[in-house]
Amino acid sequence: MHKSGSSSSLGPGGLDLTQAFFRPILSAAPPSPTKRHTKISVVGAGNVGMAIAQTILTQDLADELVLVDAKADKLLGEMLDLQHAAAFLPRTKIMADVDYAVTAGSDLCIVTAGARQMPGETRLNLLHRNVALYRSIVPPLVKYSPETILLIVSNPVDILTYVAWRLSGFPSNRVIGSGTNLDSSRFRFLIADHLDVNAQDVQAYIVGEHGDSSVALWSSISVGGVPILSFLDKQEIAYEKETLENIHKEVVDGAYEVIRLKGYTSWAIGYSVANLARTLLRDQRRIHPVSVIARGFYGIEDGDVFLSLPAQLGRSGVLGVANVHMNDEETHRLKKSAATISELTSQLEI
Amino acid sequence: MHKSGSSSSLGPGGLDLTQAFFRPILSAAPPSPTKRHTKISVIGTGNVGMAIAQTILTQDLADELVLVDAKPDKLLGEMLDLRHAAAFLPRTKIIADVNYGVTAGSDLCIVTAGARQMPGETRLNLLHRNVSLYRAIIPPLVKYSPETILLIVSNPVDILTYVAWKLSGFPSNRVIGSGTNLDSSRFRFLIADHLDVNAQDVQAYIVGEHGDSSVALWSSISVGGVPILSFLHKQEIAYEKETLENIHKEVIDGAYEVIRLKGYTSWAIGYSVASLARTLLRDQRSIHPVSVIAKGFYGIEDGDVFLSLPAQLGRSGVLGVANIHMNDEETRRLQSSAATILELIGQLEI
Repeated sequence: MHKSGSSSSLGPGGLDLTQAFFRPILSAAPPSPTKRHTKISVVGAGNVGMAIAQTILTQDLADELVLVDAKADKLLGEMLDLQHAAAFLPRTKIMADVDYAVTAGSDLCIVTAGARQMPGETRLNLLHRNVALYRSIVPPLVKYSPETILLIVSNPVDILTYVAWRLSGFPSNRVIGSGTNLDSSRFRFLIADHLDVNAQDVQAYIVGEHGDSSVALWSSISVGGVPILSFLDKQEIAYEKETLENIHKEVVDGAYEVIRLKGYTSWAIGYSVANLARTLLRDQRRIHPVSVIARGFYGIEDGDVFLSLPAQLGRSGVLGVANVHMNDEETHRLKKSAATISELTSQLEI
Repeated sequence: MHKSGSSSSLGPGGLDLTQAFFRPILSAAPPSPTKRHTKISVIGTGNVGMAIAQTILTQDLADELVLVDAKPDKLLGEMLDLRHAAAFLPRTKIIADVNYGVTAGSDLCIVTAGARQMPGETRLNLLHRNVSLYRAIIPPLVKYSPETILLIVSNPVDILTYVAWKLSGFPSNRVIGSGTNLDSSRFRFLIADHLDVNAQDVQAYIVGEHGDSSVALWSSISVGGVPILSFLHKQEIAYEKETLENIHKEVIDGAYEVIRLKGYTSWAIGYSVASLARTLLRDQRSIHPVSVIAKGFYGIEDGDVFLSLPAQLGRSGVLGVANIHMNDEETRRLQSSAATILELIGQLEI
């Protein structure tokens, strides 16, 4: 079903002009085998998957972009819509198929497939629907791209990253969940918006579960290098603990609010995941709060659980977890977040 | 309704930290009045409007991006979804309102509002629904931004560009329709895909009506500077006129096919319009096939009609129309396209 381009002749009784139009230079050798050819596959051509795919395309992150979905018509329509923009973009090979063979040799596989979170539905309620789906997605992906990095976006992301890890048999550094990368962006936006400063100058992590039990690391927030809480103490500016909790709540509610207003979220998660793709594929070695295997960090010892921690990412995936200082309360909340996730994970039959 | 940011305090009983956090430098003067502040307003936050808005944002084309729509919930949801990506983007002010006051001082106003083209529906069938909508949109836009450039995207684009021109009272160089910019991209994609060459090396225009009577300018298509038709003659490669018409038909059908498959088009038109926005706002003086006032060009003399011609665009809008050679048949088809549009315009009460 997939149209890979360059094999189509121009219409019935078409003109095969390629060899007439360009004459090859003498004794041409094929391209170097070490040529960089970055291939990204996006599984799921819904609002989230397409926002990710389109942002990756605009930001010129891949040489080849593959879309996979179960719905053939929708898939083909989305592929054509991207291909039609060829005159405005760097040349990127764009393919699509319901069959996973088209994903072979992917450097990065981004999985967004899954039921959409309905208004009022918590991420955890989606779980059972999505686990069954992953049993049909992850095995073929790893079969065709045994060296790939899996980047999981579907919700509940922490549990589905664990599921993907188990189903893939991959080492844990090659299975990552988008986690709280976006929550942290919303958090940084709120703080930056209030202070009239660029959001990229606000260092602030939300960690733990991408959901209601996420943990805002207030003790390590800094703006332009100035740690917020100790600054407030030094300036003797009083603040209520409740105020901080309200800000955090506004972040947690952020996604629900967008879903309530427009039916789903797409653009922000698109930028968030494209940002992760860039760090991974271009070996940027930057720290992102993403869902990684948490055992052994911050006192989390029971069971294999994935949740978001500030992780250094690069071409081989997760390079390590940053040793960000957490106070006692934050550590306590993080462990509680881990316990919440662990409990649900244990109910799955993987 | 609109949230403009930076006036919100962090939650109820919030912290007002701005002045505490950053100390201004001594005797600071306000910014130079000649500072560049590019403001783009997008009217209509449907699939097309949002794809345009998001592409503009990713490509960093504006300092301020404004969204306007009649549906406040959808509008607010879309604005928040873009704002939440703040950590991943250059700082851009993003605001939204149902009220046109927010568009004041826009450098460019992009109008996408209108009924969606249903499967099987021609663009011309949308006409009557959209003309009355424009009576509510254009007057407030020009009231708040009397110096702006209007870029019309809603279909049928040629007629609605004419309608916008009449309702605005603007000089014709400041009212442009997205026209066949995208059709030409699809055309260049098909040719480039067949020849395995970058689409940007294919110079090919589709002009006239953005629709069924568009005109493919075969006589001026060149690839890497080589004119296609005369090349085929010199190489004595036979081709059927029907083959060329099939390629053109594939372009026209391109939009209908995407609509049939995924329900609407969005990504390609998003890139297409962002490309026009860049040429206009950055004074690139590139030639784009867009809908402009055609009287006086290529033998079109009857009445004021807008249709796509290869037009040079820059900061003041349409700088001129390129004097591309058209053969007799192409000129005839163009005049026929003009007559089709003119007939429909004659039935409007503007």
